[in-house]
Amino acid sequence: MNAAQSLPMLQNALTVGAILFSLGLVGILARRNLIVMFLAAEMMLQGISVSLVAWSRYHGDWGGQVLVIFVLTVAACEAAVALVFVLQAFARTGRLDAAAWQSLREANLVRTVDHELPSIDTLPPRYPTLAPAGVLPPTDENEPLQREHV
Amino acid sequence: MQEFSPAMLLVLVPLLPLVGAVLTVLLGGRLASRAHLPAIAGIAAAAMVAIVLLVATARDVNPSHGAHAEPVRPVEMIATLWNWASFDQAYAPPADSPATDPRLTPQNPQAAPQALGFTIPVALRLDPLTATMLVIITCVGLLVAIYSIGYMHDDPGYPRFFALVAMFVFSMSMLVAASNFLLVYVFWEAVGACSYLLIGFWFAKPQAARAAKKAFLVNRVGDFGLAIAVFLLWMSYGTLDFHDTISPQGVIMPGILGQTRLVDAAGYVLPDAAGFAGGTIGTAICLLLLLAACGKSAQLPLHVWLPDAMEGPTPASALIHAATMVTAGIYLIVRSAPLFAACPGALVMVSIVGATTALVAALIGTVQNDLKRVLAYSTISQLGYMFASLGTGTMLGFTAAIFHLLTHACFKALLFLGAGSVMHGMGGVIDMRRFGGLRRVMPITATTFLVGSLALAGVAPFAGFFSKDEILAALHAKAWPIAHGDHHAALSTATGTLHAASFTPHGLETGSGLGLDSLNRPEIWQLLFWMSLVTAGLTAFYTFRAVFMTFTGPTRIPEAAGHHAHESPPAMTIPLVILAVASTVVGWLLFSTNWLAHFLSATPSLTATAVAATATPHAFHMDLAIKGTLAAAIGVVVAAIGHLGQRSDGPQLERFLGPLQALFAHKFFFDQIYTAIIVRPIEAFAMVAAFIDRFIIDGAVDAIGRIPATLGGIVRRGQSGLLQRYALAGVMGVLAIVVLLAWQLRG
Repeated sequence: MNAAQSLPMLQNALTVGAILFSLGLVGILARRNLIVMFLAAEMMLQGISVSLVAWSRYHGDWGGQVLVIFVLTVAACEAAVALVFVLQAFARTGRLDAAAWQSLREANLVRTVDHELPSIDTLPPRYPTLAPAGVLPPTDENEPLQREHV
Repeated sequence: MQEFSPAMLLVLVPLLPLVGAVLTVLLGGRLASRAHLPAIAGIAAAAMVAIVLLVATARDVNPSHGAHAEPVRPVEMIATLWNWASFDQAYAPPADSPATDPRLTPQNPQAAPQALGFTIPVALRLDPLTATMLVIITCVGLLVAIYSIGYMHDDPGYPRFFALVAMFVFSMSMLVAASNFLLVYVFWEAVGACSYLLIGFWFAKPQAARAAKKAFLVNRVGDFGLAIAVFLLWMSYGTLDFHDTISPQGVIMPGILGQTRLVDAAGYVLPDAAGFAGGTIGTAICLLLLLAACGKSAQLPLHVWLPDAMEGPTPASALIHAATMVTAGIYLIVRSAPLFAACPGALVMVSIVGATTALVAALIGTVQNDLKRVLAYSTISQLGYMFASLGTGTMLGFTAAIFHLLTHACFKALLFLGAGSVMHGMGGVIDMRRFGGLRRVMPITATTFLVGSLALAGVAPFAGFFSKDEILAALHAKAWPIAHGDHHAALSTATGTLHAASFTPHGLETGSGLGLDSLNRPEIWQLLFWMSLVTAGLTAFYTFRAVFMTFTGPTRIPEAAGHHAHESPPAMTIPLVILAVASTVVGWLLFSTNWLAHFLSATPSLTATAVAATATPHAFHMDLAIKGTLAAAIGVVVAAIGHLGQRSDGPQLERFLGPLQALFAHKFFFDQIYTAIIVRPIEAFAMVAAFIDRFIIDGAVDAIGRIPATLGGIVRRGQSGLLQRYALAGVMGVLAIVVLLAWQLRG
């Protein structure tokens, strides 16, 4: 039995996986930013993947790792699709708040509103800058570069 | 290649009106005021084919002239179109039933009862009876259709009317041409449906809708009888075909009315009514067929629908409720003559029903003031006459009934069309008390109506005189057999039940025919004869009462007619004239030559021994003619005393009747009795059923339907539309499953 197949190794790996999964779960339940929720979901996926790899190593069976490769592939596709949805949602409302999308609730239920609005960062946003090369593209002063902060 | 057979032409008779009806339906809206063209063309072509068929059939009947005339051979042609149903080994009849008469299956002389197949071929037959009926149906149908061009013009339902008339002619021709009891049943229903649709033609009028419903429901009673009769026939005979068929194994399968059963292979006529179910089963079949006939032909106690059916358009009344459909019952009994001949008790019942109906309807007819209703009761009465004649069970009785059917079709269609012409001119008014003296306004209608009335009243030499004379002769021969030198009949009526037993050697049971055979006594027949004679007098009275009230006296025209009370257009008067000529000559022509009676005697059903043996030489009965004419004369004279030249709204003769007047005017209270004992209980039951349906059954269903809605109402509060809550619900669900699994794994 080599080190990779030892029980403590498995336990450690499973613990990491569980932590990742739990963090992702908390992120999904606690955050309202669609992109962050999406990242949290990815994190849950990675937690599961870690435990799959750990079990695979422990049993000396490659099946788990092959499955993880598949999961990664599918997650990549899913990320592309999910981000399109998020972008479209943002283009509609200008917000990334999941609570902005309540129209699918029962007709006779009142809309859930925030009693305490999240504090808005008052500092001006900092954008990454490009290395100066070529001509600076023209900008329109009237077009808001950044919409409401979430 | 098979030799050309007239049976192939036979298919055209129903087919052409059907094509006409379908074309009218498809093109009706586009043809507008020319919507009658397809229907009339179809019926006219069918009428020509029917006449050709009649001539072709008549050529095959061997002549009866000469002293050594051989017995009349049955003439029949079958055209099988396709098989409607076919099952092998459907039924094994009891060993002693007529279906397994070993004589009839020579190749299996000792065969045990073999399982019979159930096969319903769509087969049309051509024999003298069918040919005669087809000519009556198509010719009267054609005249009525032509008349309707004038009568129905500018009616919004013009195309619908002609489609229905053509459909009716199709159904009726199929009914008389079908060679199978099941097909007869199908078209029995089809003519009923056409009748329903035509009575309710003006369905927006509540009386018309109610009359149509009543006709349909009353007819159901009779149809039910026919259905049961068909079941019993199949149980007894193992087939429903009229004609013989040859099975794939080459065995002759005898039909119910096939020649195998009527005449044996060597051409000798079988003794008595061999091969026909007698006893209880046979009598039950005959009584059920009689019930069916009573429904369709408006006989007591199912006559109540026919007077109400006058709510329909007058041409439909003339065609369906006077000349053709109501004679379906007569046709059915003549077709089933051998079955009836095996059951003397059932035959007596036919006569009793017929004569009673004739008398009762004539009595009611004497106090009616609605011209069409007088004619309706007259139709019921005349159909009763035919039934009385059929019940004698003799060749004379059967041929006389069909003879009267033919003449009645002519003069009753004429009278109805005449009444329609009056109604047309009077702006829809048909109450005889509201007009009078119309002979000056409508001379052609008045003259033809008078001719029809003379024929109906039985005045020589008009058609009704001869056919009524034959019917009276048939009844007279049964009542006083010795006087007619008919010792065979004398024996049969005198010994009653004994003879009935000897008639049924192969019957399922040789019982006493439900106890009806004891009615077959001369005294009964004498009573029936006198009833018929009284009816003849009453017929003359009410007919001429109507003539005098309508056409004589001071000329009065109802306001509904406006200032343009006029003679009807040629499309209406020409059929009247044609029918008047027919009503004048057809009786004398057919009686003097005896052509019809001889022709009909070649119908397979009438060549059955029990019927054929009763054939008597053709004769004119002077004593009966005198009695009949006397009765008619009394009727006419009484009518003349009361109504000739009087105002029709004045006092009437009925004031001398006393309490009887109320009885007649209320139609013997038939409708009231039926309302009390049948309609009301059924309505009460229907109300209970409706209550149970609406509140108990529907209530239970609704309660079950509310369960998911209520449960959903609880759960739907969780549908907040917030993603996090849904996610939380999912997590909680997974946790619950995990806890549950852990709980289970613990133990």
